[in-house]
Amino acid sequence: MRLGFLVDLSRCMGCMACAVSCKAENNVPLHSWRLRVKYIDEGEFPDVKRHFVPLRCNHCDNAPCERICPVSALHYLPNGIVNVDHDRCIGCASCMMACPYNAIYLDPITNSADKCTYCAHRIEVGMLPACVVACPTHANIFGDLDDPESEISKYLKEHRDVMVRKPELNTKPKHFYVRGSTVALDPLASERPEGFTLFTEVKFLDHIGGE
Amino acid sequence: MLGAEVTFDVALPKIVWGWLVSTNMWAKSIATGSFMLALIATKTYQDNRAFFKISGVLLALVFIAITLLVTVLDLHHMFRFWHIFFYPHFTSAVTLGAWVVSAFVVLLLIAFWALISQNEKLWNRIFVPGLVLGFFSTIYTAGIMGEATAREVWVFPAEMIAMLLSAAIAGSAAFLAIDGLMGGMLKENIRKHLSYILMVSSGLYGAMFIGEILFAKMHSEFAHHVIRQLITGEVAIYFWIGFALTFIVPVVLAGVSIQTKKYTYSLFGALSALVGLWFVKHAWLLAPQTLPLS
Repeated sequence: MRLGFLVDLSRCMGCMACAVSCKAENNVPLHSWRLRVKYIDEGEFPDVKRHFVPLRCNHCDNAPCERICPVSALHYLPNGIVNVDHDRCIGCASCMMACPYNAIYLDPITNSADKCTYCAHRIEVGMLPACVVACPTHANIFGDLDDPESEISKYLKEHRDVMVRKPELNTKPKHFYVRGSTVALDPLASERPEGFTLFTEVKFLDHIGGE
Repeated sequence: MLGAEVTFDVALPKIVWGWLVSTNMWAKSIATGSFMLALIATKTYQDNRAFFKISGVLLALVFIAITLLVTVLDLHHMFRFWHIFFYPHFTSAVTLGAWVVSAFVVLLLIAFWALISQNEKLWNRIFVPGLVLGFFSTIYTAGIMGEATAREVWVFPAEMIAMLLSAAIAGSAAFLAIDGLMGGMLKENIRKHLSYILMVSSGLYGAMFIGEILFAKMHSEFAHHVIRQLITGEVAIYFWIGFALTFIVPVVLAGVSIQTKKYTYSLFGALSALVGLWFVKHAWLLAPQTLPLS
């Protein structure tokens, strides 16, 4: 079994239900996220387009975070999930330096690394990840990549515009996007000005390492 | 202008590894560089054998202690440091580094014992393991940087050479500085050789940075942005201070001192290199972290 995720970006409407349900399900503290939805505006009025991009751990088959973790706090589960053992983590932040998707955070309360686990605790008892259940448009498609009859496998087979983030890094992500674009998935393809924009302040955290 | 802009997002982490890690790399360069040079010097320069033995072992012990201190302080769970020995994950360069440095510390303590007990036989026996452990203690950080997949400009082979050159700069500069500050204990030919080591290693390390500035930006969009951050962005001040103090000043002053046989120039070149090395390492550590990854 290899569990994977697929997001059909044409279905996502940026409602954040996935992000909120993830926060609630996993007790994710303020200023930290396991799943976030980024808004990117493209073009100039009146010819504008808004991209909604849900971003979470890619559960790579060749995960740099698992490889660099000095104490195996980040480890593979038999179903392909890259899981975290908070009690073993020493807080060296190597995983944050290795993950090219910025999917790992240091929990300010536990001081341990944490990230999306595809809700491994729910999957263990036969439930779907919280974000999948909460999504009102079924933009999140989750399932077994090894099962050709699973919805995700069929979706991957039927669509030719499947993308992953940073394929050149050979991380072999198990998180796919359908109807994506470079602007949506490449962080350097859009400006990220710091300061107040649409609803909130786009900024960087400065509490982790310090310059 | 890219024509696209992030209008809603969460706050992202920026600098994850800061000055504690820069200090770790800087102090480790002095510790391993001075000890490896001391081992070679005690075989080569019989006249100043005592100088290299005493200063080499003491420099290595003090600076490896600083390295270990800042390493542990940088952990968000510093009291779980022992996990690295009881739950080791040997694909990680962090684990390998911790084990190698631990062995290096044990060897330094043996060297210290050999020094205070004046046990020449024991000192001679640590020569080969000292060089091997010094070498691997120097380069393991390059392995960590190489495993940091998110930061494309940190490439293992280049980082390994850079770490070795840092150790050569730091080791030769530390001995020149001690010699100069203590009024000249070394023979002239040894000062000359140390000045050559400082000049050549600084020149080569500087050339590597010039190479990165000229060529890394041609590799990928990420590398291009990192180089831009390095030379004109928010870490440029650290980089250019470090570049001047580590590469330009030592090369010029060591060259002048070799030519004129006035080794006060080398003393100032050495002090400049020791200070500048921290800045240049800090800039290289921060630059890739200033970019958003997602």
